[in-house]
Amino acid sequence: MPRPDAEPRHRTRGSDPGPRTTDHGPLGGRHERPDARAKVAGSTRYVGDLSLPGMLHAGVAVAPIASARVLALDTAAARAVDGVEAVVTAAALPGANLVGVIFPDQPLLAADRVRMVGDRLALVAARTPEAAWRAARLVEATLEPLPAVHDPVAALVPGAPLVHDGGNLVRTFQVARGDAGRRSADVVVEALYHVGGQEHAYLEPQGCLAIPEGRSRITIIASCQCPFYVQQAVARVLGLPLAAVRVEQAPTGGGFGGKEDYPSEPAACAAVLAFATGRPVRFVLPRELDMQVSTKRHAMVVRHRWGADRNGRLRFAEVDAVLDAGAYVGISTVVAERANVSAIGPYDVPNVHVRTRIAYTNNLFGGAFRGFGAPQVTWAAEATIDRLARAVGLDPLEFRRRNLLDDHRRRICTGQLLRRPVLARECLDRAATLAGWDEFHARPRAADTATREGMGIALALYGCNLHHGGQRLDRSSAVVILQADGSVVVRVGLTEIGQGNLVACQTIAAQALGVDPTAVQVWQPDTTTVADSGPTVASRGAHASGMAILDAVRRLRTRLDPVAAELLGCRREQVELAAGRARVAGEPDRSVTIAQVAAELAARRIEAIATGWYRSRPRRFDAATGEGEPYEFYAVACHVARVAVDRDLGVVRVEEVSAAHDVGRVIHRDALEGQIQGGVVQGVGWGTTERLALDHGRLVNPSFTDYLIPTFADAPKVNIAIVESDGAGGPFGAKGVGEPALIPAAAAVRNAVVAALGVELDALPLVPPAIVAALGDAHPFAWVAEEEHEHVRSETVAPGR
Amino acid sequence: MDVPVQEVIRPATIAEALAALAEREDARPIAGGTDLMVQLRDGRRRAGRLVDLGRLGLAGIRRTRDAIEVGAATTMDAIAASAEIKRSFPALASAARQVGAWPIQCRATLGGNLANGSPAADTAPPLLIAEASVTIASAAGTRRLRVADLFLGPGRTALTPGELVTSVRLPLDEPAPGERVVERFTKVGPRREQVISVVSLAGRAVIRPDGTFALVRLAFGSVAPVPVRALTAERALAGRRPDAAARRDAARAVQDDIAPIDDVRAPARYRRIAAAVLLDRFLQEAARG
Ligand SMILES: Cc1cc2nc3c(=O)[nH]c(=O)nc-3n(C[C@H](O)[C@H](O)[C@H](O)COP(=O)(O)OP(=O)(O)OC[C@H]3O[C@@H](n4cnc5c(N)ncnc54)[C@H](O)[C@@H]3O)c2cc1C
Repeated sequence: MPRPDAEPRHRTRGSDPGPRTTDHGPLGGRHERPDARAKVAGSTRYVGDLSLPGMLHAGVAVAPIASARVLALDTAAARAVDGVEAVVTAAALPGANLVGVIFPDQPLLAADRVRMVGDRLALVAARTPEAAWRAARLVEATLEPLPAVHDPVAALVPGAPLVHDGGNLVRTFQVARGDAGRRSADVVVEALYHVGGQEHAYLEPQGCLAIPEGRSRITIIASCQCPFYVQQAVARVLGLPLAAVRVEQAPTGGGFGGKEDYPSEPAACAAVLAFATGRPVRFVLPRELDMQVSTKRHAMVVRHRWGADRNGRLRFAEVDAVLDAGAYVGISTVVAERANVSAIGPYDVPNVHVRTRIAYTNNLFGGAFRGFGAPQVTWAAEATIDRLARAVGLDPLEFRRRNLLDDHRRRICTGQLLRRPVLARECLDRAATLAGWDEFHARPRAADTATREGMGIALALYGCNLHHGGQRLDRSSAVVILQADGSVVVRVGLTEIGQGNLVACQTIAAQALGVDPTAVQVWQPDTTTVADSGPTVASRGAHASGMAILDAVRRLRTRLDPVAAELLGCRREQVELAAGRARVAGEPDRSVTIAQVAAELAARRIEAIATGWYRSRPRRFDAATGEGEPYEFYAVACHVARVAVDRDLGVVRVEEVSAAHDVGRVIHRDALEGQIQGGVVQGVGWGTTERLALDHGRLVNPSFTDYLIPTFADAPKVNIAIVESDGAGGPFGAKGVGEPALIPAAAAVRNAVVAALGVELDALPLVPPAIVAALGDAHPFAWVAEEEHEHVRSETVAPGR
Repeated sequence: MDVPVQEVIRPATIAEALAALAEREDARPIAGGTDLMVQLRDGRRRAGRLVDLGRLGLAGIRRTRDAIEVGAATTMDAIAASAEIKRSFPALASAARQVGAWPIQCRATLGGNLANGSPAADTAPPLLIAEASVTIASAAGTRRLRVADLFLGPGRTALTPGELVTSVRLPLDEPAPGERVVERFTKVGPRREQVISVVSLAGRAVIRPDGTFALVRLAFGSVAPVPVRALTAERALAGRRPDAAARRDAARAVQDDIAPIDDVRAPARYRRIAAAVLLDRFLQEAARG
């Protein structure tokens, strides 16, 4: 944070203000987000702020090494700590000792085997958090170290230490098109990319509160993205029917995927302790432990062999990717599915062969993270595209223009035809114009200064909503209640995690009912008020909840419109809802307020509640060949980054990112721009400074002192171009933007840094030592590190301040 | 989690503070708390009693005949804003403005930065090139110690329990007529703000009208167990002009002054190279003036 009197470095250039007149409704506008004030003022109550009479606090004892046999667990010292009410080990669990979302490979509590640092050994409930954590530290585990594997490629070599009995290869995804041969290419690029993981760095750590009712039912209040996942996990470990587990989403201070799969684990822990003690139990992870044990973005190793002809047309692309699942599958299969489809970007390539394998290792386990495997493969693809452009002597923009999918060439690698319009070219041109690509390249730049400037571009093709493989989850439920005073209650099954789902649902409901957004109250999801709506992931929040809201409004109007028609003296087909009124279509002067209609419904005791339902269109997809329609429709994004690199120190500053996004229709402009700005900054952080330093599977920088996310001082100026079109298929024609906002950012930065320095960089993140190492002997002081030095003391520089 | 402290004492005089520190073995002074609170929470340091230095009148910058005295409880923000410091010790002002970010600068104190004993303490290199000393008080009396003798190892200083740093003395050193002074502080880190130095350099050069060094002092942070003066490099440059040959000799010589290791922030190789780059840039600036 700069001093308040300091000059602002830059302001974000906003896009047009959007429709203003109330008659158009709030769609596409900028009305105030309903959750904004409380969050900014600090009055929002997160899980850590909740407390109940008699409430206990949970702590957990975790394994300090990555691979071991559990020989003994001694909990006597932990039990003796003053204030401790319960210590639970695997033997004492009431239901299944299992929390895996997709594969049954992860125990809630390790019984005999440790597979990663952070595996839970015992749970503690105590009257204070201090007592709980002290007791957790006193759980004595006798562990016999076993061989471990930390490199996903090595894990797939026969003879590698086995993480699970069935072998380290979890699954392979493939897709092939044409014949991926070398024959018709004039230039061929081969490269091996090491793309690192990422910590979610949500502001609010993982937390939940479990409130038991005897041993028959339980309420969980959780910071989470997916209340229905939490419900299933808790029901399983307690051995309860789903109906006996009520999960309410607490206001959630950020998720980014980190609160998709992982919160089921702390919730199951708190639930077990609540049943063991009969008391409410709150479990909030301290930051360092949260960073150490929770899921991360998957690290990937991506091998490329791509070819183009001398006119700059792509001929073939071979991609061989390995995803480091870590010790448990979690949702790695779904991440790999998306990586597999996203591996060649929005390009028209006649011959494609993509293979994505998932490997178990003894590293921290990978989970959902904004982009879901797409950012990693996009980083690699866009690096290779730039290499090919250089090899054939074309400007990176021109090379892309020659290969982008468009309305005529719209078949992707799975054989699916994209819906028209295909807006890749449009996004590229808009982003390049915003960035001033031509002017930048026309300007002479000194090659001998300390700071080198560069500009880079990257695109992404994003499959909206869930993959075919997750289609059974792709449905959603909503409830709309018209109150007697004309105000409206909306309940949905998808969550607000900072991304703007509340304001999106509010806008959609207000638009559909013709009321002011302030008349609509959208409440936090609760599994007892709506049916299972699947997860809040895959940029599907506004889409899935919005479609269900529209369905509910349609059903509500079957009862509302006849009453309005009676009041107006017209036919029900003539009733139109707008500007807070029901009116006769074409005769705006004949109207009554919605409040009058609502009062009339109440007076006549007409059902003023309606449910709504959405499910995605069934699609054809062959998991064995990878052919078919993995996603319902697609969005394109293009980012152009301008960087300044201190070459000799290897320090990258991202000055500006220009982002063009194909969003269908805008629902709420501030929320949309916020998503784009946030996605860009998070992508820039991942690409430059956010390094997960793992030592034998242990995270050695589990704090914000050493895991460096961008601060406001590092946030680039973000220019935004919104590319709208009709017919996308979401509510009012909207497409998701949460993930596309991040996916190309790091790749654009990488290409900009390479342009600035003239050396290839094949590992993410681009931390200063990596850049200096890549310069090799070209660095003017490389020689100082090769010589002998007198003075090397054994004492170490401590990581502390 | 809460910080495991039993009591906080807020004395009004230095004598009371020293008594409060002497009374309990596990008593510790606290100034801005920007290091200590973090360390107490994660268990790196313990304290049963905290003795708050906020009301002892230890904040302030005072000029004497031949020195500037900075009170130990003076904040980084006050140091960075001081015209006196900016004029005579610009490297210190610049370092103070680069500690964390502005909210931290408004709490973090000079005494805390030194007493914490980090090899990355940003004010240490500027104080080393100023040949500054600290005044230390305890129930037994006061003593003076050169900053160069204060740091013993990561997190370890020559302060003994019960001792307080009360002020830091920076001797004024006016150049002779015709001489130019170039003084800089630079730190390297992957972020613009809120970043612990991966390598830092403070340099002071006094240049004669003929372009040769009348004096050159160099000190580095984060390249050894303690902040270090680069005496070998200084000797390699003594009396010379900062031309290409001298700069190359200095880059080689400084490697013997530093002893970096691989840690989570950077490998030793990077620190060696970055130290050479910072030094080279400083010498080029000195040549240009
Ligand atoms: C977010 C953040 C960013 C930071 N960034 C930087 C940075 O960029 N550069 C940097 O150098 N530091 C940085 N720090 C560390 C810290 O802010 C500085 O070291 C600061 O100067 C410490 O001063 P304080 O007054 O807060 O010390 P405290 O935390 O109050 O005390 C630190 C130690 O010194 C002792 N102590 C304090 N005053 C005295 C005294 N007068 N006599 C004897 N002992 C004393 C205390 O007992 C304690 O052991 C950062 C800290 C944070 C939290």
